[in-house]
Amino acid sequence: MTNELINTIFDVAAHCKIPTVLIGGFALPAYNVARTTLDIDICIYIKSQDELEQFIEDLKVLNILTKQKPKINQDLFTVFGKFGEAEVWLKPCDSFQWDAQMVEKIYKFYANVFVLAVEDYILTKLARSDRSATDISDILQILIANKDKIDWQYLFFRLNWIGLENDFREILKVFTLDFDKNGRTISEEILNKFKMSKILKNSKPVENSNDYQKNLRDEWE
Amino acid sequence: MKKKERAPIHVTLSDVERAYKKVEEFRRLIERGKTPEQIFKDLLKLIQVDK
Repeated sequence: MTNELINTIFDVAAHCKIPTVLIGGFALPAYNVARTTLDIDICIYIKSQDELEQFIEDLKVLNILTKQKPKINQDLFTVFGKFGEAEVWLKPCDSFQWDAQMVEKIYKFYANVFVLAVEDYILTKLARSDRSATDISDILQILIANKDKIDWQYLFFRLNWIGLENDFREILKVFTLDFDKNGRTISEEILNKFKMSKILKNSKPVENSNDYQKNLRDEWE
Repeated sequence: MKKKERAPIHVTLSDVERAYKKVEEFRRLIERGKTPEQIFKDLLKLIQVDK
């Protein structure tokens, strides 16, 4: 039922050729983490007001309605279906916009439901303006569950891009405590992987994926 | 309206120990045959409004 609301939104987005991802707490199982949450958050990559209005019209045909008149420069709007509601975001996080590389990296969770790359998802948690202890807890679990899957260089690039490397380091410090006290090798591996990614520490913020690739090459050569 | 601020990062050893436990719980669900998709759908059922 609630699942149908999500599937319908993703179906309409696919029909309109709008890249769309599940974000927020409900996206966590895609990253091998789970917790209860009340909010369904979906993010769409819309480029124009016309495209946004067409999307809303197409949802309306399938009885998914909004009482708002969303504008392209807003953060989000709410839609209501028969069995629930969802917040539809126009950017992945209130602190940053979509970019081409972020869109390129989205991947399928199941059926027609997509999610952000794990590194970009971590960024949505770390960068949100009302970041809470729950977000930090989510990040810890994601790092533990995905240490071998994370592209640490890309994560490091994104942390610099958003200016939150120091915040991320504060989170990582706890893995030092854990390794010292509990000797968990996973904590040590996480720290080592981040240390390795520091080879890119002089990377400058870049606008698109071509620049990012060039930066990568420059740093390695 | 005053804009909310990011919580400062203050992570303790018990936070990371709890995180390890939660990751382990998820891993056990997967071992018992649940898929991440099923876990997601189970979580969705918790907030379903029946009309």
